[in-house]
Amino acid sequence: MTGHVNMAHLALYASGDAGPLDRVRIGMHLRGCERCRTRVAQFRDDAAALRETSAKMPEGVDWARLSAEMTANIRVGLAAGECVAPKKPRKVPVSIPMMWRPIAASAAIAVTLTVVLIGGWWLNMTPQDTQSLNRSLQALLHGRRAMDDRGPVIEASQEGIELRKDGGRLGVSQDSAQLVTVSVSTQGSASAHYVDQDTGQVTITSVYAQ
Amino acid sequence: MRNSAIIFALAVSSLGASAFAQTPGRKLDFPVDSPVLAVSSDWSETKATPRGGAYVLDVHAVLSLRNASQKRIRGVTLSVLAQEVTPGGKGSVSVPSLDIAPGEAFPLRIDLPLLCPLGAGGPMVEVRLDGVLFDDLSFYGSDKLHSRRTMTVWELEARRDRKYFKNLLETAGNDGLQREILNGLDRQRERPSAGVQMVRGRSTNTDPERELQFAFLHMPDSPVDPTAGSARIAGNEARAPHINVQNRSDRAVKHLELGWIVKDQQGREFLAASIPSDVSLAPGKSAPVTGDTALRFSERTQIDGMTGFVASVEYADGSYWIPTRGELNDPKLRNIVAPSPEEQKLYQIYRKKGLNGLVEELKKF
Repeated sequence: MTGHVNMAHLALYASGDAGPLDRVRIGMHLRGCERCRTRVAQFRDDAAALRETSAKMPEGVDWARLSAEMTANIRVGLAAGECVAPKKPRKVPVSIPMMWRPIAASAAIAVTLTVVLIGGWWLNMTPQDTQSLNRSLQALLHGRRAMDDRGPVIEASQEGIELRKDGGRLGVSQDSAQLVTVSVSTQGSASAHYVDQDTGQVTITSVYAQ
Repeated sequence: MRNSAIIFALAVSSLGASAFAQTPGRKLDFPVDSPVLAVSSDWSETKATPRGGAYVLDVHAVLSLRNASQKRIRGVTLSVLAQEVTPGGKGSVSVPSLDIAPGEAFPLRIDLPLLCPLGAGGPMVEVRLDGVLFDDLSFYGSDKLHSRRTMTVWELEARRDRKYFKNLLETAGNDGLQREILNGLDRQRERPSAGVQMVRGRSTNTDPERELQFAFLHMPDSPVDPTAGSARIAGNEARAPHINVQNRSDRAVKHLELGWIVKDQQGREFLAASIPSDVSLAPGKSAPVTGDTALRFSERTQIDGMTGFVASVEYADGSYWIPTRGELNDPKLRNIVAPSPEEQKLYQIYRKKGLNGLVEELKKF
């Protein structure tokens, strides 16, 4: 144990309400800790003072009636709380007929597998796929036409060339070389010119829509 | 407790989904008489992940190829296939502006995403040799991706640009060369570009459509001249370009490529696309060049004007025309057209090795 015993445990110890193990543990600590011993003593003094004060309560108080009134007030408060609280749907136990149980079990497995597969697919989505999905959703949300995903589309930009088909995007990239230019041919291809930074060798990579 | 269970389930499913990623099969399919041989390959970062009804193949490979021919190699194109007939199943990697001597090895990096349908046999990546271009402009390969034409144009541009910078070095010295390189780097940094989407066929735009006429940049030496043309415009989309061209040379033309410049409502111009077209154009004759493609720009872009120009021409005899440096120095084109792959390479050599490194490179050939 490091430091001191916390106040709650000391209070329980002082009142004799700590568990057996805590009692042993705290008792061992108190032997070597003046500060905690003082606190335990203070708790015991306070408890004694409280007992003494309660003993001086006025005579003639009908404790049974006072207790009944307090209980009634608490119940009224709880009932009022129920009235203003939002209504909770009542749980209805689901009872599936025996003949449907295999189908229900299969459906549950199928749903679980679907969730797992969609999760796996989502985690493995490339940034290009994310952009493509985002574009399609944006097109749907804004009522615009979706960018042609019916047939192969070749896109050439300063980032390189991409082949898009059925919502998928395939990019061409060369890590070791610098992209210097891209070009598009109306015969259905696009090319990217890369220059090797060390040798100057030019490599021209082309993709074909058909 | 319930939250912990959900997090645990998601974590397990995440790990499970990651575990679905697998190493696809791969195949390097080079012909037996191929002028390049694969010395080694590293596919360790390539993986396939099932998504929906398809595999997404993230192809990252470094190949080491050796020139097994007796000529110097100027360019190589590989086709990378997951499924040849599936949209997104085909890609390619080209390395132009090479100078690989016989017996010499060189690296080729593949970074490409591909799609292939889920099916028996699992995901598979196949790398095929589409073409090799040599220093005498001869070609080897199946040419299924028309790599002969594209690599030849790149090589002609490379020769034009190297010659231009070598002449500059001889006539204006190191200072003149450095000034031109710095100007080019500035233009490259400031070149306007706008994101553009390309859709085959008609798009789904419901805005009212109008017809907008092309303006044209006429190059004095071009064998083909665009005479009139228009495209359908709806909001931020342009589609169905239709341009009449006339062959003003004395040789038949079988292929040409037009550049398509778009001007937005703020007067900014940028190169939107190229329009390649196979034509059969006898001397003096005219023919239409069309495209069934829709280009879509950002939603804030309103198309106010369009300009077309001839970017390259292939004659029926297999020779080519490309614009000269002087023609590309047109005030409109200078800031819009991207530098050639060779020029990009030279800029990078200057950045990395400085002026001395660039001068050394120009003296190589």
